Formats: sequence, structure tokens, C-alpha cells
Amino acid sequence: MKKISLSQIISFLFLIVMALIWLVPLIYGVLTSFKSEMELMTAGFKILPIEWVLTNYQELLVNNTSTPLVKWFFNSLFISVSHTLLVLVVVSLSAFAYSRLEFKGKKKLFSFLLATMMFPSVVNLIPLYKIVDILGWVNTPLAMIIPGAAGVFNIFLVKQFMDNIPKDFDEAAQIDGANDLTIFFKIILPLIKPVLLVVALFAFTSSWNDFLWPSIVFNDIEKMPITSGLQLLQGMYQSQPTLLMAGALIAIIPTFILYLFAQKYFLQSMSLSAGVKG
Amino acid sequence: MGTTMTLDKKKSKKITPWLFLAPHLIIFAIFFFIPVIFGIYISFTNWDLFNTPTFIGLDNYKELFFNSDSTFYEQLRIGLKNTFKFVIFSVPFCIAVPLLLASALNTKPKLAKIFQSIFYMPSLFAISAVVIIWKLIFNVNYGPVNNILNTDTPWTGTQPYAWIALVVVTVWWTIGGNMIIYQSALSGISKDFYEAADIDGATAVQKFFKITLPAIKGQILYTVVMTTIAQFNIYGQPLMLTEGGPNNSTRVLLMYIQQNAFGSGQSIAGIASAMAVVLGICIMCVSAIQFKFLKVED
Repeated sequence: MKKISLSQIISFLFLIVMALIWLVPLIYGVLTSFKSEMELMTAGFKILPIEWVLTNYQELLVNNTSTPLVKWFFNSLFISVSHTLLVLVVVSLSAFAYSRLEFKGKKKLFSFLLATMMFPSVVNLIPLYKIVDILGWVNTPLAMIIPGAAGVFNIFLVKQFMDNIPKDFDEAAQIDGANDLTIFFKIILPLIKPVLLVVALFAFTSSWNDFLWPSIVFNDIEKMPITSGLQLLQGMYQSQPTLLMAGALIAIIPTFILYLFAQKYFLQSMSLSAGVKG
Repeated sequence: MGTTMTLDKKKSKKITPWLFLAPHLIIFAIFFFIPVIFGIYISFTNWDLFNTPTFIGLDNYKELFFNSDSTFYEQLRIGLKNTFKFVIFSVPFCIAVPLLLASALNTKPKLAKIFQSIFYMPSLFAISAVVIIWKLIFNVNYGPVNNILNTDTPWTGTQPYAWIALVVVTVWWTIGGNMIIYQSALSGISKDFYEAADIDGATAVQKFFKITLPAIKGQILYTVVMTTIAQFNIYGQPLMLTEGGPNNSTRVLLMYIQQNAFGSGQSIAGIASAMAVVLGICIMCVSAIQFKFLKVED
């Protein structure tokens, strides 16, 4: 039998208390979404619903026309999936060039891009809106799909990963007459799948959860993603917390499910991003 | 024949890298580089988002810093003060809490994997959903906090509770990332150090400060800088949780920037841009100071 040390016992107790604090808001939120409005207001403080009801979900998903939650949900899904695909293409192509190809000014260009990461993004908020407006993208998914792909960090991450793949592979292929495109698709791309998965998870969740930017570029209720929709919902149904809770929970389902399936990669990606820097 | 072939090949060799780079560089130029330059420029204009901006030199900045009768002077002061307050209140917890959790997890107790998942999970939720959940938790009448503590504290409506609520929500929402970073750093420290310290009779506290902290200094620097930058961009929590109140005491600069540029009524994007530049400079200065300060330590 393994010996359990004192520090393990103390740690375990501490973690139990903290885990409860972390779980209670979420669990209470889920339970509240199955309570009726009346019950929450009048029954006094109860954790479990006295009567489990689906009316909050029905109201949001079926009956309601002023707050099209289903539409918001699919708007977000379309935006996040498209954004993720775009990021994967853009990032893998660039990282390949910085890691594998030779061209004039490569080092300088790459250092310049890295330096721009230090620049606070709040400064480009207002002009970015203008550019998106000039392009006619206000109230369209493009406003959220494309500008986010300008980021540099993912390129850096993928390039680092690619740098660890031996150059011999490419050289062997070159001798066999393969060109850069073939090397990219046939050799490098299959090998960088793990880091691309990490990039994809981050791109999807950050796009799904983005808040300030969509609240600026969307004012058409029908076109909004779900994060902006929730803000609107909160404004309209201040006095109906059970309904709001159902809305909030629907909005976190996709990233929650993604996490259940890809937990390992999420955790790996966080330590990867610090390992790169630290 | 042969020479033209090699020439063509050379030429295509020169172009290929740029074909790989083009998608990113075009998006980068249009949606990052040009807007940043434009953003700095319009802070020197009286722009309204739609008409041609007219250059007015430092007038926006003079208005913000020296015209004490101006509402914008007031807004900058309040917004900046509250943003700094939020950073000062929240960053220590966003570093210490995940460090404690990571240290506890590093002892490899039972259910460690499950604990880790529980603490990381909230960082995958949208802030608007997070705030809706916590507004219920902090509700005066039917919220669990007041019912458990048996009080009727108006958490989001009076101070200092509004700040406490904002920090609690932020810590709950964001610690996952830092915790994972510390965990992987801690697991990399060699056990030999601790065993040697045990022989010398070091206490747990001594071990933490003499061995653990120095060993993960790099990761702590990284998380302090990144967390500070993230918290300077505070927006969603006070917007939805406290609505800037009570009495504007949690109204942060980004809320004023958003309101002046995109709010109802005439846009004053010029002034808003100047505010954004001021906020940007604050962020750069603070992270530069942190780098200096934490680098000098060793």
C-alpha cells in the first residue's frame, strides 16, 4: 500500500473546500434553471427545486421571438468554427515559412511580429471598427471570423513546435523531388497535428467567449453571437433570474463539452504557452 | 534552356515563402498594424467615427489631463483610478490562489485530476454567462451567499462589497490557466532539493520560500505580467455585475472608451482614442516595470 503523507492530507482537505467553492455557483445555477420563477421568489432559500420545470428552457428555445437564443447559438457556432479553420490555415502556412523556408529579412520580420505582441490591443479597438465598417462587415460574421486571425502568438507556438522536427525529413523529400508545398502537406502538416489541435481549441473557445468586440460590431439582434445575446437578455429579463440562468447554461454547453473531450490538450496547451515564455 | 530553368526555379524559390506568409501578413496589416497606427493618429484629431478626422494636435490630451471642468477629465480620472484599483485588488489573488492550488495538487493527493478539472473549467465560459451565474449567487434576497451567511448584504450595490464581488468573480473565472502553468513548473523541480532541505531540518515555509519560489520564478514573472495586462482590460465584469456602480465607483476606463466611441449619441472617437492610448501606455509601463523589478531580483 502507498503511504499517505501529512502534506497530502492537508492538501486534500484544502482542495475539497476550494472545489466546493468552485462548484457551488455552477451547480446552484443549473438547479435554478429548473426552478419556476414563482418558486425562486417565494419559496425561501432552497437548493433543490421543489418542482423541476422546463419552462425556462422552453421559453428561451421555443416560445421567445424577441430574444432568438437558438439563432444566437448557431451564429456563434458558425463564427467560431469558421474562425478556427481560418486560424489553422493561416498559422500553419506562416509557421512553415518562418521555420523551414529561407527568404530575405526572415529574422527581422519575425522579431518585428513578436514585438507587436507587446502592444496593447485596446489602442486598435476604435480604428478596427472603422475598417470593418468600410469593408461592410458590421453585423456580419466576417467581423469576428477574420480580424482575430491577425494574432502572432499561435504562429510563434507552431513555429517552435516545427523547429523541433528534424530537417532531415524535408531534405530527404527534396532529394526525391518534392517541392515546398508537398513537403508542407505531406510531411510537416501530419507531424504538427498535436500543436494544431491546441491552437484550434484556443481559437474556438476565445472566439466563442469574445465579449467586447462583438458588442461593438453587432447591433442587429438576429445576427449577434450568443455572448452579446446574453448581455441583451440580462438587460431585458433582469427580474427573471431562472430564465437568465437557462440562457447562461446553454451558452456554456459547447465549450464545456469540448473540454470534456479534449481536457488533456487544454491543460497541455496552457503549460505549453508558458513553457515558451518562462 | 538549362539556365532559364534554374533562373525560373530561383525566382519561384524567392516567391514561395511569401505565398506562405501572405494570408497572415495581409490580415495582420489590415486588422492590426494599420488600425494601431490609425488609432494613435486619431487620438490627435476630433474624429466622430464617420466624417474626415481633423488634426487638432494635443487638444484631446490637454482636455483629458488639464481641463478640470471637462467631463472627459473626470471620466479619465475615475476610469483610470478604478481600473488601477481593480488590477491592484485582483492580481495578487489571481497569482496566490492558483499557486496554493498548484502546490496542493503537486503533493499528488487523491482525486488530483478531478480537482484540476474543476478549477480550470470556469475559464472556458463566456464572461456574460459567468456574470449571470454570479449575479444570482450574490442576489440580496434569494442568493445562496446571503442565505448561508444569514445577512442581507447588497453585494453588487454597495462598497466595499462591490469590489469584493468583482474580485471573487474574476478569481473564480480566471485562475485555471495560471494554476496549470504553476503545476507544470512545480512538477519540474527536482525532489533532491527538498530531501536535502529535509536533512537540514528546514520547515515547509522555509522550503517554499527558499526552494519552490526561486525555482518557478520565470513562470511567476510570466503570469504576473500576463495577468496584469489581462486585468487592465477589465470590462465585462463591472459592465454586467455592478453596472459601474455604486456611484461610478467601479466604472472602469474601457467602459468610458466604449461609451464615448460607440455609445448612444454623438461619437467622440477622438477623445476615446486618446483615452485608449493613455490606457495602452499605462499597460506598457506597468509591464515594463514588472519585467525590470522581477528580473533584478536574482
